[in-house]
Amino acid sequence: MSFSAEGQSDSLPWCDLAGYRAALHAWLDANHAALAPRFEPPGTIDDRVAQMQRVKSILFDGGWMQLGWPERVGGRGGSPMLRTELGAALAARDLADPGLFSLVEVLVPTLIDFAPPDLAAEVVPRLLSGAEIWCQGFSEPDSGSDLASLRCRALPEGGDARTAKRWVIRGQKVWTSLAQFSDRCVLLTRTGSPESRHRGITAFLVDMHSPGITVAPIELINGELEFAEVFFDDVVVPAERMLGELDGGWSVAMSILPYERSSCFWQRIAYLYRRLQCLVEAVPADDRAAEVVGEAYLQLHALRARSRATQHRLAATGTIGAETSIDKVLVANADHAVYDAVRRLLPGSIELGDDSAGRALRSQYLFSRAATVYGGTAEVQRNIIARRLLDLGGDE
Amino acid sequence: MIAAGERAAMAESVRHAIASAPVRAGGGADVDQALAGIGWLAMLEEEPDDAVAIVFAALGAANATATALDDVLATALGEKPRPDLAVLLPPFATWEPPGRIENDELHAAGLASARVGAAAARVLVVCGTAREPRRTVVPAAAIAAETVRGVDPAARLRAARVRLHAGAPDVERLDPAAWRSAVALGRRAVAHQIEGACRAMLDLARTHALARVQFGRPIARFQAVRHRLAEALVAVELLEAALTAAREQPSDEAAALAKAIAGRTAATVTRHCQQVLAGIGFTTEHPFHRFAKRAMVLEGLLGSADRIVLDLGRKLVAERRVPTLIEL
Repeated sequence: MSFSAEGQSDSLPWCDLAGYRAALHAWLDANHAALAPRFEPPGTIDDRVAQMQRVKSILFDGGWMQLGWPERVGGRGGSPMLRTELGAALAARDLADPGLFSLVEVLVPTLIDFAPPDLAAEVVPRLLSGAEIWCQGFSEPDSGSDLASLRCRALPEGGDARTAKRWVIRGQKVWTSLAQFSDRCVLLTRTGSPESRHRGITAFLVDMHSPGITVAPIELINGELEFAEVFFDDVVVPAERMLGELDGGWSVAMSILPYERSSCFWQRIAYLYRRLQCLVEAVPADDRAAEVVGEAYLQLHALRARSRATQHRLAATGTIGAETSIDKVLVANADHAVYDAVRRLLPGSIELGDDSAGRALRSQYLFSRAATVYGGTAEVQRNIIARRLLDLGGDE
Repeated sequence: MIAAGERAAMAESVRHAIASAPVRAGGGADVDQALAGIGWLAMLEEEPDDAVAIVFAALGAANATATALDDVLATALGEKPRPDLAVLLPPFATWEPPGRIENDELHAAGLASARVGAAAARVLVVCGTAREPRRTVVPAAAIAAETVRGVDPAARLRAARVRLHAGAPDVERLDPAAWRSAVALGRRAVAHQIEGACRAMLDLARTHALARVQFGRPIARFQAVRHRLAEALVAVELLEAALTAAREQPSDEAAALAKAIAGRTAATVTRHCQQVLAGIGFTTEHPFHRFAKRAMVLEGLLGSADRIVLDLGRKLVAERRVPTLIEL
């Protein structure tokens, strides 16, 4: 396809996505030695975060990391699909963990759309270049699927929200990815009454080095420390760090959905193809393997077809909505299907393997089970599909 | 490919033509005549992708029976499609050429449309293997065809056999690519038809769920029911996406996968919709059974999901390569 008119930049040398993809892969081939991980898989979370930052920094120096982002935040312009292709290429080559790398997709658009322009121009390049890591403080212990019930409180210093120069935050977040590594956090806080639901939420960009912040990593089922609890004990945030309007945080939260459900998914899909590729390199070429691999391949292909259609719709119309709950259901199913195939065809690897391959597969397998939970549970997606897409009315 | 607006208008005229098809001598709707009336063969020649997508989806959605697949296959095999030419289909669930030549005799066995034994004067038979296919056109009189009743007599399939001295018909080499593209386009056509049937089943189940009251409320309020319908919609949308990809970035594999996905989708949609329809879904009073049965028959045309998955899987593990097939 050709690039969408929106975001088209005359300064980019490629006339279509296929040309860009070819140039990108040639560059990645040429720079493979510099980009390749310095650790044996799976590595620790510290290894993987360091790898991601190193890759970002090399890509930034090469001018790739800025593609698809607007020039006013230090980008080079061009279609957002350029970013998607970049993330997918890294995932397909196991150069960066797509779950970590694609966080930029849910953080930077928030800054572009909601931060004061000077702030966005100052901080976004630091994230893209690998100089900083950011996290996203949305979920709370009592607010998982029901995000609008969040309680982490932000109070205006002096009591007047309109004139306050500073805000004071108190409360707790949970499932904050990479919080212990982060320099900044896109944080959702309660600024309205406790009952105000989605109308009384405000977003801030909080400096994670501020006094009063405590980060407690959570050990996941696979032994990883990718997520953390974050405690805010009267943390002071300047008013100019507010993202969007006072009490306008819900639209900030919702605005990331199109990116999470397009580019992030495409990167995950590339990663899953890579996992299936590794599997066919490890199994005997018999009919049992053929059936199991074929079944997972069918699911991956169908998902890829769906995600492709979603991204073309996003490029054509500028928006996507409830129909992406279908994409979310599919990406979770495919994630399960690929690792189920691995477990069936390599018996003992996941359960007993203590070599690098076994430890990597075990870690990935155990984490893959969460695919039907994170980013909105499978049940919530089906509720949305039933109400919004099938128009079945309310369920109460 | 034609513009979206034009495509919608085309779809509407196809739906209308199928719905108002004349009655065939001997009962049932003469959908072939209805399609001929709106220029099906011209559409197929000018815009094959759109024609196949629109017509077959509409056939599936209306549970209509036509012989348009003969025209699709004939076109792909380089033959000018015409109402008196049929193409012998491979046996149920398979896609190898249906004929072989042995001891100077042509033997063929497969499925055929209602054209065989009715309008067809000639039948195109592909024989040999997919790698070295050959083709011949035999007179319909040389075909022994029996009506298949099976689970869906209204599908009007025939079980056909041919046995001829090979010297009699002209047997020519066929470009293997032509056979592959016939299988691919035929698979897409059948998958579109399955998609139409699946959307119809989902519509029926949704309508029922909103109307049927138990425990003082429509059963559509119950989450267990809603989630089944949601699953069915996910499956249908997946099929549509696979078909779009097979059209926009065509390959034999993408068409094969679309057909296999159609089989999986039909199984999912049938299971959930029949459960939501509950008792009435097990009767012939309600139209659901017609779509479910037609989908069962279509599943076997040009390769079943299971066999396609096995075939593709064999290739993946033999070549140790997992190609992505479609790009952004």
